[in-house]
Amino acid sequence: MAAFAILTLISCNNEGNAVNTVESMKTPQMENFDKAFKSLGDPQNRPTEEEKKRNTSELSDRRKALLVPASKELILSSGVTEAELMRKTGGDMSQIIVWATQIYMKKSDEIRKNIKSEK
Amino acid sequence: MKKVLALLSLAAFSLGYAQGGTLILNNYSKYDFYGYIIANNTTGNCYPHISSANPEMVRVPYDSHMGNGKALVYENYRDQYTSSLYPMATWSVALASGSSSITPRAWNNPSMAPGLVLSNNTKWATTKFVMYYPGTTDLAPDNFNGAVTLFNNCYSAPSNFTTPSGNGAEIFSITSGTDTITYIQLF
Repeated sequence: MAAFAILTLISCNNEGNAVNTVESMKTPQMENFDKAFKSLGDPQNRPTEEEKKRNTSELSDRRKALLVPASKELILSSGVTEAELMRKTGGDMSQIIVWATQIYMKKSDEIRKNIKSEK
Repeated sequence: MKKVLALLSLAAFSLGYAQGGTLILNNYSKYDFYGYIIANNTTGNCYPHISSANPEMVRVPYDSHMGNGKALVYENYRDQYTSSLYPMATWSVALASGSSSITPRAWNNPSMAPGLVLSNNTKWATTKFVMYYPGTTDLAPDNFNGAVTLFNNCYSAPSNFTTPSGNGAEIFSITSGTDTITYIQLF
């Protein structure tokens, strides 16, 4: 009985190792997108005194610009062409970031579903 | 014409997202976040006012963010329960000031659905929180706790702060047309 229990435990452990995690299944573009958001916490990227005095909670243009390159990369990696990206957003930073965030969420949902179906 | 097309495609793209918008909380810090998630009316008065109730405070462990799929993501009051890693079973809903108007409402209470009065008239607005050493209730150093809230909101708090040791918290939104994504970030 004990041996059986141990065997069961071992097999469960092995399964655990084989199962992919969200982290391991992320694309480089998703990783860079997250890194861009993390970089908002770097000392030079924190809100300046002037930005703190603004009458809004909308992210400042200076800080939005930090998110745009990774956002564009993520959108392009989903199969959208550069021309399409420009046509749809007109280069508007907010549109680009919001679009990228929606793609990000969709992709992580898909990854999570794949992991669940593998289990 | 091109502009019209662009607008139309954007409008089509926007459909299907709750008006209140999505909340994403990234905890990049090395401490566990433990806090209330609060939404309210941001035009005119503070009601409806909706606060996390079960659990009252959400624990988002250290190093939990989009990058490792552990961010807290709430698409709306209802669907978060089935889609989020941090499901909120009950919200505390106040329609007016005074404790008599506060009612607990389950995530699947029909009024919590996107596109209805509560969702359409509130925005993710505030978190009141403490930061703990991982897995403990020992406070992080340098008063890394407090509240961040949207500018000029009902709750009196800044939108961001930084501690002497360089940790920080902030809330900000990114708005495109009718789509708003609200981010809470801990560094």
